[in-house]
Amino acid sequence: MSDVVPTEQVAVGTTPTSDAPRRRGASALAGPAAVALAAGGALVVLAKVDPSQPGHYPTCPFLFLTGLYCPGCGSLRALHDLAHLDVVGAWGMNPLLVVVVPVLLAFWVAWIVRSWRGAPRQRVIPALWINVFLGLVLAFWVARNIPALAPWLAP
Amino acid sequence: MSTPNEPQNPYGEQPQNPEDPFRKADPSGQPPAAPQYGAPGYGAPQAPQYGAPQYPGTPQYPGGPQYPAAPPYQGGYGPTPPPNYLVWAILTTVLCCLPLGIASIVFSSQVNSKFAQGDYAGAANSSNKAKQFALWGAIIGLVLGVGWAIVVGVTGSFSSSTSY
Repeated sequence: MSDVVPTEQVAVGTTPTSDAPRRRGASALAGPAAVALAAGGALVVLAKVDPSQPGHYPTCPFLFLTGLYCPGCGSLRALHDLAHLDVVGAWGMNPLLVVVVPVLLAFWVAWIVRSWRGAPRQRVIPALWINVFLGLVLAFWVARNIPALAPWLAP
Repeated sequence: MSTPNEPQNPYGEQPQNPEDPFRKADPSGQPPAAPQYGAPGYGAPQAPQYGAPQYPGTPQYPGGPQYPAAPPYQGGYGPTPPPNYLVWAILTTVLCCLPLGIASIVFSSQVNSKFAQGDYAGAANSSNKAKQFALWGAIIGLVLGVGWAIVVGVTGSFSSSTSY
């Protein structure tokens, strides 16, 4: 993962410049800590309020409008299952989410490391990797709407 | 176009775009130019190698075409890649159920490919588009969610059993 550097640091839309001194050390970790707090809070709510019960959360707008599953359908239920450490259940709801969560965690850790060192983002993921991921998402989108594959891929 | 770390170049040589159509044609028939001291290593995300001839066969262009956007120089660092908002694109795709997240992933990929090719202006442009698509996907998803909550609050329970 050494050549994989995520982009959360620049979520505010600014490119740090050389005249803006970079924070480093503990004070630079406010961003990652805030994200962890928000994600943890969301996970607690999801763990307590069951998304598989109707009426708790909004219906996916794409599903509501088209009757088809989108790549994200089942992701709240999958997160609910993950919060209860039920990986198999989460995989049954949305395998894409189960794949994506460790990647996002790795990005988050790399963000911490970069913030701690005070170094700017230097390297980028090869575009090919993102394109492969894109193909994966699109294939998943189509496949989970195929009735023969629905038992494995549909939520 | 000079950077803070670079001695002033009397010839005003501009960093050469690898895709510059003028690069192949040598109008003056000069021999390969002597290495320009301090020529920045554009296109190389690594630390600039001062004094190293980055493009040995590149002719000089006094007053040549301006490269559109110089990457900001970090002292001692190479050009900073523009953000590709990939994380936001993924989150929008997985949590907002809208095709806008997919579009954002496409532009995220473009940011990285254009940056790797040295097209910094194009990368910055794609970066902005990736941000816009992820942002609007999140906003529309949020608006629909809040609208749903209002509908449910007014009409009681909603008959759908499928959530996100």
